[in-house]
Amino acid sequence: MKRRNKLLGRIGVLAVHCVLMAGALVMVMPMLWMLATAFKPAPEIALWPPVFLPQAPTFDNFTGAFETAPFGRFFLNSLFIAGVGTLSVIVTSLVAGTVFAKYRFPGRGLLFGMVIATAIVPFEAYMIPLYLQLVQIEWINTYQGIILPYLFMAFGIFLMRQHVGSAIPGELMEAARVDGAGEWWIMARVIAPLSGNALAAVGIFSFIQGWGIFIWPLLIANDQMLFNMELGLTAFQFRFSADTGKLMAGSVVSTAPMLVVFLLLRRRIIENMALTGIK
Amino acid sequence: MTQPAFGRRQAMTLAAGAGLAAVARDAQAQAVTLSAWTGYPELVPFYNAAGEAYAKLNPGFKLTVFSTSLREHEQKLAAAMPTGTGPDLFDVGQILSINLIEAGLIPANPPAVDAQLKASYRPASVDQFSISGKSYGLPMLFSTPVLFWNRAMFKEAGLPGAPETFGEMMDYAKKLVRFDSTGKMTRSGMSLRLSGQGSGITEKWRFVLEPAGGSVIKRHPSGKYSQNYDNAAGRAALQYYIDAVQVHKVDDPRVQRDAAAFVAGNTGMLFREAWVIGEIQKQNPSLDFDVAQIPAWTAGQPKKTLLQHNGLYVSGKSRNQAAAFAFMQFLTNPENSAMLTQTSGWVAARKDVDWTGLVSRIPQYKGFVAPPADMQYYLEPVLGPWNEIQTRIADQLPAAFVDPTLNGNPTKVGETIKRWAAQTDALLKEAGLFGTA
Amino acid sequence: MTAARRFLTKRRVLLFCYIALAPVLALFLYVRVIPIGFGVWLSFHKWNLLSPAKPFVGLLNYQLLMEDENFHLALWNTTLYSFSTVILSTAIALPLAVFLARRSRLSAFYQTIYFLPVITPMVPVSIAWKWIYDYNYGILNYGLGLLGIKSVAWLSDPDTALWALVIMGVWKVLGYNMVLFLVGIRNIPAMYLEAASLDGANAWQRFWRVTFPLLRPILLYVLVTSTINAYNVFTQVYVMTLGSQAAPGQAVRMLVFDIYTNGFQFFRFGYAAAEAVTLTLIVLGLTVIQFSLARNDPTREK
Repeated sequence: MKRRNKLLGRIGVLAVHCVLMAGALVMVMPMLWMLATAFKPAPEIALWPPVFLPQAPTFDNFTGAFETAPFGRFFLNSLFIAGVGTLSVIVTSLVAGTVFAKYRFPGRGLLFGMVIATAIVPFEAYMIPLYLQLVQIEWINTYQGIILPYLFMAFGIFLMRQHVGSAIPGELMEAARVDGAGEWWIMARVIAPLSGNALAAVGIFSFIQGWGIFIWPLLIANDQMLFNMELGLTAFQFRFSADTGKLMAGSVVSTAPMLVVFLLLRRRIIENMALTGIK
Repeated sequence: MTQPAFGRRQAMTLAAGAGLAAVARDAQAQAVTLSAWTGYPELVPFYNAAGEAYAKLNPGFKLTVFSTSLREHEQKLAAAMPTGTGPDLFDVGQILSINLIEAGLIPANPPAVDAQLKASYRPASVDQFSISGKSYGLPMLFSTPVLFWNRAMFKEAGLPGAPETFGEMMDYAKKLVRFDSTGKMTRSGMSLRLSGQGSGITEKWRFVLEPAGGSVIKRHPSGKYSQNYDNAAGRAALQYYIDAVQVHKVDDPRVQRDAAAFVAGNTGMLFREAWVIGEIQKQNPSLDFDVAQIPAWTAGQPKKTLLQHNGLYVSGKSRNQAAAFAFMQFLTNPENSAMLTQTSGWVAARKDVDWTGLVSRIPQYKGFVAPPADMQYYLEPVLGPWNEIQTRIADQLPAAFVDPTLNGNPTKVGETIKRWAAQTDALLKEAGLFGTA
Repeated sequence: MTAARRFLTKRRVLLFCYIALAPVLALFLYVRVIPIGFGVWLSFHKWNLLSPAKPFVGLLNYQLLMEDENFHLALWNTTLYSFSTVILSTAIALPLAVFLARRSRLSAFYQTIYFLPVITPMVPVSIAWKWIYDYNYGILNYGLGLLGIKSVAWLSDPDTALWALVIMGVWKVLGYNMVLFLVGIRNIPAMYLEAASLDGANAWQRFWRVTFPLLRPILLYVLVTSTINAYNVFTQVYVMTLGSQAAPGQAVRMLVFDIYTNGFQFFRFGYAAAEAVTLTLIVLGLTVIQFSLARNDPTREK
C-alpha cells in the first residue's frame, strides 16, 4: 500500500515536471524565436512552414539595423538614462530612508506619509501636467528632462527606511557620534556599508525600470539623438515594419543587456524582487 | 486659371533674384547652423544633399536634419514649437501647420518668399498656402494618390487594363484574388486600409467617398462647415468596403497590406502616392506594374483624387529666420525640386520643374507629374479640428468594415454613418466652425 | 555633557535632517506633488497647448468624458484586460509556486526561466509577440496548425486582439507573481503544515486549510498591485497598433492610450487631465478595496 503510494507520488512528480517543462518552453519561446529570427536571411523568415533554427545564419540583420538607425547611440542613451537614474535613486533612497528611519524631527510623519501616499498614483496619471511644467522650464527634448522623474523612487525610500530601521542598531550610530563623527560621515561610513544588499535591491530595481522607460521619452524626446533603445526601436518598427529580420536584430540588442544582467545576478534579482514586492 | 504667357519667365527671374539676394545677404552673415525636422525619413538624403550644396555657396553654413515617423513628428512639432525648442525650419502637412499658424508660431512669408509662391506654383497650391491675404510657407511636395496596378497579374487574369469605374475595380479584384487550398487568402484583389489606427484610415476611405460624390465635411458660402457623408455617397462608400471584405472577399484585414503588399506582389491593386514607385525601385525593381487614375464612381462621372501638400515652414521662434527663409528658397528651387523627386520618390510641388528626364527613365511618374486633363482634385480642409475629425471616424471604420451585422443591412449602415456624422458636426460646433448655409 | 552642549547637538541634528531631506523633498514636490495637484486644476480647464486662451470650464471635461464613446470603450477594454490578466496570472502562479516551494536544483532552474519575461523590456517583447501572432508566418498559428486548429489572425481580428494582449500580459507578469507567492509560502512556519499532517490532512487539504489562508494577505497584495499595473497598460498597445499591419485601434483602445491620444494628438490637455484624474480615482478605489478586504481578514499578520 505504502509502496504503491510512493510509486503514484513518483509518477505525479514526473507529470508535474512535464507540465513545468512545457510551461518553461512557452516562457522562453518568444525570446528564442526573436533570437533565431534575427539571424535568419530574409527568405528564411518568410518560410511556411517555419523552420526554427536559421539554416544559413547571418549577421546581416544586425549590421543592417545599425546602418539604418543609430542603434549604438540609442543603446548608450539607454545606458546613460538608466545609469544616472539608478545612481540618484541609490543616493536619495539611502539619505531619505536613513533620515526617516533614525531621526526624530517635526514633520517626519507627515512628510513620510506624503511620500508613500502619492506613490500609488500611477505616473501615467500625472505625466501631462509634468510635461507642461517641463515645457515652462524648457526641459523638453533634453537629457535632464528625460531623467528627472526617475531620479528618486518612493519605493526605494520606503525600502531603505525599513532596512535601516530594523537592521542597523542605533547604538552603533551613537557610538560613532560619541567618537565625534558627523551625521554625514555616519551615513556614508556606518549605514551605507551595512546596507549593501538593500541598496543593491533598490539599484537593480531602478536600473531595470530605467532601461525600459517608454511613454515619458516618447513624450519628451524630440530628436532621435536623445532616443533610448525602446523609443528608437519603436520608430524603427514604424519605418521598416516589413523588415522583420532587422527589427528582431534591434530587439535582441535591446533585450541582451537585461538578459545578461539577469543571468549573472538571477538569484539576487529574484530575491530582491520578492523583497521589493512585499512590504 | 491659366497663367499669362509672361508669368513664368517673370516668375523665374523674380525667384532667382530673390534667391541670389538672400544668398548674398547670407554670405556676409556669420556662420549659421540651421536645424530642419522632417516627418518623412526618405527626405533626409534630399535635405543633406541640398544642405551640402548650399554650404558650398555659403561657407560656414551647416544643416542638421532630424526625422521621425509622421505621427510623432506632428506631435513633437506641436510640443516643441511653443517652447522654442523646435527646429529653424520644418516640413509638415497642413493638418498641423494651420494650428501653428493660428497660434502665431509660423511667421508670414517675407516679400521674396511670397513672390516665389505666387509665381512658381499652381493656383490651387497658392490658395492652400494663403490665409486672409497673407501667405505662410512654401509648398514642398504634392501627394496625389493614384491607382497602382500589377500588370503581370492583370495579364494573367486576362484583364485589359486599369479599371475605369469602382464597379469595374471590384469585378477585376474578384479575378485577381487568390486563396490556398484551406481557403486562406494568399493575395488580395485590392488592398484597402482596413486595420491599425489613426487618421490615415479615414483618408484612405475618402479615396472612395469623394468619387462617390461625398466628402467628410463641406464648406458653405458662409464660410462655415458641416459633415457631408450622412448621405447616399457616404453610405455607398462604406458599403463598398463592406462588399469588398464580406461579400466579394477580395480583401481581408488579415493578409499583408498596403505598400508592402504591393511591392511584394501580394495584392493586385492599391491606392497610394508616388513614393511607392521609389520603394519599388529599391526593393523589387522587376515588379511589372503601372499607375492609373483612381476610377470614377460610375461611367461618365469625373475622376477625383486628393491633393495634399506638404509645406516647408520657418519657425517663428527661430533665431536665424532670415537665413532659414533664404535656405527654404534654395531648397525649393527648380534644380533641388527635381532632386527631391529623384531621391525620395515624392513629387515636388513647383510647376516649373523639368520632368522629361525622370519620365523617360521611369514612365510610371507620368501620372503624377503630368496628370490627365480631366483629373479633378479635392483638397484638405485647412481647419484646426480636422485631424480629430478624421481620427474619430478612423476609430470607427475598421470595426464597421468587418461587422457582419452591417452586411446586407442598409438601414444599419445608414444608422452607423449617421452616428459618426453627428460626432463630426459636434467637433465642428465645438470649434465654432459649424454651419449649414 | 552639559545641557547647552546637548541642545546644540540636537539643533545640529535637526538641521542635518532638513538639509539631508531638502533635495529629495524638493524633487519629490516638483515631479510628483505639484503635477498631481496641477493635473486636477488642469482638468477643470479647457487647455490646448497651441491656443493662448485657456478658460475655466468647471466640470465640463468630466461631463464630456462620461459621454465619450472612446472613453467608455477604453475603460471597458482596460478593465477586461486587467482583470483577465490578473486572474489568469494568479491562477497559474499560485500552483506553480506551491510546486516550486520545495527547494531543489530544478526549482531554481524553473524560477529563472519563469522569471525571465519580467525583466525583459516591453518594446522588444511586444515586437517579438507581434511576430509570433503574425497571421501568415507566425509560429503560434504554426503550432495551432499542428494541433489541427485553423490559423487565427490574432491581432487584426477585433475579436481576438484584446486576448492576444492578455496572453502576452500573463506571460510577462507570471514570474513576478510566482516569486511573491514563493516567498509567502516559504515564510509559513513548517510546524503548521506538520501539525496538519499529523492530523491526517493530505496535501490538498493542507494547501486549502493551512497554506492558502496564510497566503491571503499576499494574494490580496498580488491581486491589487497587478491590477493597478495592468490598468496602466500602454507600451504594448502602442507598438501593436502601429502601422498598417496592425491591430485595429478600437479593439485594444486602453485608458492610457486614450489619454495620450487626447493630449498629444488632439492637444486637449485639460480633457486628457480629466481622464487621468479618473484613472487615478479608479486605481485609488481598487487600493481602498484592498485595504478594507485586508482589514476584514482574520488571518492577517502584523
